[in-house]
Amino acid sequence: MLGVLPGTVGLVQATEVVKLILGQGDPLIGRLLMYDALQMNFNTFKIRRDKNCPVCGDNPTITELMDYQAFCAMDHSDAAD
Amino acid sequence: MSTTYETLVARAEASTTGLSPERAQEKINANGTLLIDVRERENYIEGYIPGAENVPRGFLELRIESMDNDRSCAIIVYGAQGQGALAAQALQDMGYSDVAYIQGDIDAWQNAGLDINQDRALDKAEVQRYSRHLLIPEVGERGQGKLLDAKVLLIGAGGLGSPTGLYLAATGIGTLGIVDADIVDVTNLQRQILHGTSDLGRLKAISAYETLKEINPGCNVVPHTDYLTSDNIMDILPEYDIIVNGCDNFPTRYLVNDACVFLKKPIVDGSIFRFEGQVTVYTCDGEGPCYRCLYPAPPPADLAPS
Repeated sequence: MLGVLPGTVGLVQATEVVKLILGQGDPLIGRLLMYDALQMNFNTFKIRRDKNCPVCGDNPTITELMDYQAFCAMDHSDAAD
Repeated sequence: MSTTYETLVARAEASTTGLSPERAQEKINANGTLLIDVRERENYIEGYIPGAENVPRGFLELRIESMDNDRSCAIIVYGAQGQGALAAQALQDMGYSDVAYIQGDIDAWQNAGLDINQDRALDKAEVQRYSRHLLIPEVGERGQGKLLDAKVLLIGAGGLGSPTGLYLAATGIGTLGIVDADIVDVTNLQRQILHGTSDLGRLKAISAYETLKEINPGCNVVPHTDYLTSDNIMDILPEYDIIVNGCDNFPTRYLVNDACVFLKKPIVDGSIFRFEGQVTVYTCDGEGPCYRCLYPAPPPADLAPS
């Protein structure tokens, strides 16, 4: 991990926090910012809510917290698309 | 020949449009009306009509054109004891055609039982410390008050949490929580600038607390030194307005996401790998996506970046 990388990314996060509190500007809601330090490019991509999302979708199947260590250790290769 | 203040006000009232507080309220609710409070700053911060901009009477003619140069824009002005009518007269003289004052000014508004807003008043030390913010219209005293009232939780006092914590403390966030159960290791120091060489072997949350307190003693820094789990997250998150995710593992990312969706708390999410970084804001209120919308399942353990 390049030592200066989290500096740039963390300060983008701090900037978004300040904007949200002040209610100013366009926060990165529904947008994913991607930063490439080697090419020195910042790009944003539109991202959308998935209505089939198991936690925030229209019919959520996850309604309480789980064992996240076990969840992440599970083989999800069937579910991955 | 001398003229009394009462006469001046009466003349202004006669040549401009006055609205009762109730009529003014209706017009303010309709979009696009510029509402201006012409009292001095100290009176304004004690209580103003919601949505009102403060332009003290002496600066009105100087500033109005930068607020709205369109002479047909709708403007309502008010002050105290007749200032509203005098201000309306001044704007009318400049060619603004849709200007009205509130009859009886702020006192009548209050007596009518209509809403009043009050900003958090900054003390003298805060006015000095945050003076560069106060000069920016988008922040100003009201914005700085919001920052000072805000409660932000940093998940992780590592690579991402370091710059975020340093600047958020300096910027005047009122309460800054830090969750981290790890200990400062020599391999962290190349990027985790909250911690120094003398902090090796110490809890990151405590080291971060000391660094942030030194930068801004006015910031209420709250260290949480336990690992974040399903058992304790619901005791910690509800205290905060915004969650800043700078964690370094997938179980915590899913844990924070699910808890924030249940609590409808926004996450400012950041992640890094080698030379690349990503940032987004998950509102967790059903409007925008959440982390699981993008990543329904974690990557296989052997592909997951550490």
